Amino acid sequence: MTQRGAGRDEYDDVADAVVEERQRPSVVWIIPLVALLVGAFVAWRVLSARGPEITIAFKSAEGLEAGKTQIKFKDVEVGLVEEVTLEKDLSGVVCRARMVAGAEAYLREQTRFWIVKPRIAGGQVSGLGTLLSGSYVGMDPVVEGKSARAFTGLEVPPVVTLQAAGRYFVLRSSRAGAIDPGTPVFFRKIAVGQVVSSVLDETDDFVTTRIFVREPYDARVHTDSRFWNASGFDAQVSADGVTINTESIVSILVGGIAFESRGRHDDATIAPAETVFPLFESRMDADKPIYTRTVAFLLNFDQSVRGLKEGAPVEFRGIEIGEVTDVRLEFDQKTARFRIPVMIAIEPDRIEGVAADQKGLKRENLEKLVASGLRAQLKTGNLLTGQLIVALDMFKDAPPAKVLWAGPAPEIPTIPTPIEEITASVAQFASRLGKLPLEEIGADLRASLDALRVTLTKSEDIGPALATTLKQVDRTLASVGPDSSVNSELRRALLELSEAARALALAAEQFQTQPNSVIFGKEGSQ
Amino acid sequence: MSAREVTALEASCASCHDCGLLTRVHRGETHGLHCPRCGAAIHLRKPRSLERTWALSIAAAICYLPANLFPVMTVTSLGKTQADTIMSGVIYFVEHGDWPLAVVIFTASVFVPLMKLGILFFLLISVWRRSSWRPVERTRLYRLTEAIGRWSMVDIFVITILVALVRLGNLATIEASAGAVFFGAVVVITILAAESFDPRIIWDRSDEVGR
Repeated sequence: MTQRGAGRDEYDDVADAVVEERQRPSVVWIIPLVALLVGAFVAWRVLSARGPEITIAFKSAEGLEAGKTQIKFKDVEVGLVEEVTLEKDLSGVVCRARMVAGAEAYLREQTRFWIVKPRIAGGQVSGLGTLLSGSYVGMDPVVEGKSARAFTGLEVPPVVTLQAAGRYFVLRSSRAGAIDPGTPVFFRKIAVGQVVSSVLDETDDFVTTRIFVREPYDARVHTDSRFWNASGFDAQVSADGVTINTESIVSILVGGIAFESRGRHDDATIAPAETVFPLFESRMDADKPIYTRTVAFLLNFDQSVRGLKEGAPVEFRGIEIGEVTDVRLEFDQKTARFRIPVMIAIEPDRIEGVAADQKGLKRENLEKLVASGLRAQLKTGNLLTGQLIVALDMFKDAPPAKVLWAGPAPEIPTIPTPIEEITASVAQFASRLGKLPLEEIGADLRASLDALRVTLTKSEDIGPALATTLKQVDRTLASVGPDSSVNSELRRALLELSEAARALALAAEQFQTQPNSVIFGKEGSQ
Repeated sequence: MSAREVTALEASCASCHDCGLLTRVHRGETHGLHCPRCGAAIHLRKPRSLERTWALSIAAAICYLPANLFPVMTVTSLGKTQADTIMSGVIYFVEHGDWPLAVVIFTASVFVPLMKLGILFFLLISVWRRSSWRPVERTRLYRLTEAIGRWSMVDIFVITILVALVRLGNLATIEASAGAVFFGAVVVITILAAESFDPRIIWDRSDEVGR
């Protein structure tokens, strides 16, 4: 109220000053604050748990579902497929996936993705769990290399994940022979690795097979190890009987590769990764010594080479020193003559003394040899099949000839198959023919004819006996006539038989309609 | 003063919230009043009604976002896990031709909470601006808000029943997710907000202007 007192009544209708408590903000404001904090916290958690977004290209989206299909590594979820779209040119599908936080470290160029679904390969059944849970995308993480966000998915799961310890080797063979990714690799009948891939080379006709050998068995692969195709089984027939050899039941079913190292080995001979080995067709091939060095020669035969095939052996005085590599027929337009050039490959390592000489046969040595009578000749290798072999020998009295150096390979002169060989065999046949006991055969024949004549003369006495026999037969037939007792009995028997057959038919029908009646009896006849 | 009803406030009277007894309140003495008959606290208006309603409405609005963005339910069936938000559930039912169910879920879980929030903010702003615009309709809106609010809990009940019933181990399991908590919070907080709003304020403001 006014203090000075003047005109106190004049201001009666002045409003009273109101003492108001200072209002603090209500406690209720905590609620939106808490809601904001919790909301922000949850949003932060969700956002921080989100990892990078990646795209994976697949040929087909079989089993992929947007928002449902997970990306897993070792069965731990590391991502989720968010969207599956077709590629613009319809060549495949692209799936966009969100990885979990921290997955950046494993997304490198080498990282592989594939769709896990039930599969039977390499003797193993995998992905059975996905029958119920649906497919998922498998991941094989890598920690080295350039970071990447776009990937191309594999069509088949990798046989060997990148984490697996071991080493890769390369095998080369002329054909694949039941070897697929996942085929086991054996060492002394223990499965120590798997085939990773098997592809035909682009440049040549070899099949390149990549295999993976696990630690610690990879140290067993030495530079001189022999690999062979252990598919199926080896059966050997020898004086001891039949021996059947196989690496394992699995290798019979799905094939396999086996390797072995011979002799003593130390760390120095351990093969480095990616070493290329030849892959042999069988264990026997692998056991054979290998001659990598060959020297080609050309032979020209004027006679028929029927029975001479590629791979036929080339022998020198009965010792195999090489093989035939090519047999052709050529027509010379100028001289109007046919020629049959035969290419042979000699393996000089088979001949002691030559093996040390790395350049093979020297030119002057060959000329010297031919001058002193070295000739090639066709010989019968197998009397049964008529297969021919090429035989090299020294013919002292052969007509003089020279080595021809004009062709693709030095040409060794040939001599025709000696006529003596043919005449010898004809003579042999003739002598066998001569040894036949023709005179004895004639005597035997005469004796037989005599005996026949005696028998025929005796047959005159048989006449009356035959007549009696016929009469008896006639009587017997009469007793079986329509009014005979035998006949009536026979008829009764037949009637009974037909009744029995009818009963059997009824039983069969009963059995068909009510199979249980066999055990429980006819219905209603308990 | 026009020929209109005198409010209790103008007559310095207040009625007890509990027993309805009309009591005289002296100016300035607005705190610590009690009903002489039943002993309940007596206020001329709900204390700090606007402030509380504002706070709760804002809290509900904040919770509304995660309630719709996060999944409310996670169904694990035969190893397949599927998390559904409210909207994805509605879309699922629409796609499978279950129109009535989709409409029910949409109305109860999306439309009603949103409408409630809208009405609350509209009332708050109109009162704050001292608007005298159509007080009858606004009061009706308020009554609507109070009446339908609780029905939004249907969703939460369905989830709780499913979570309790479907416990078949690997075969099928249903779990409530973060979204359900936020959704429950939205429903409860909007109910509280509607409760704390004093509709008489609508009339106070329009009366002041109309005077």
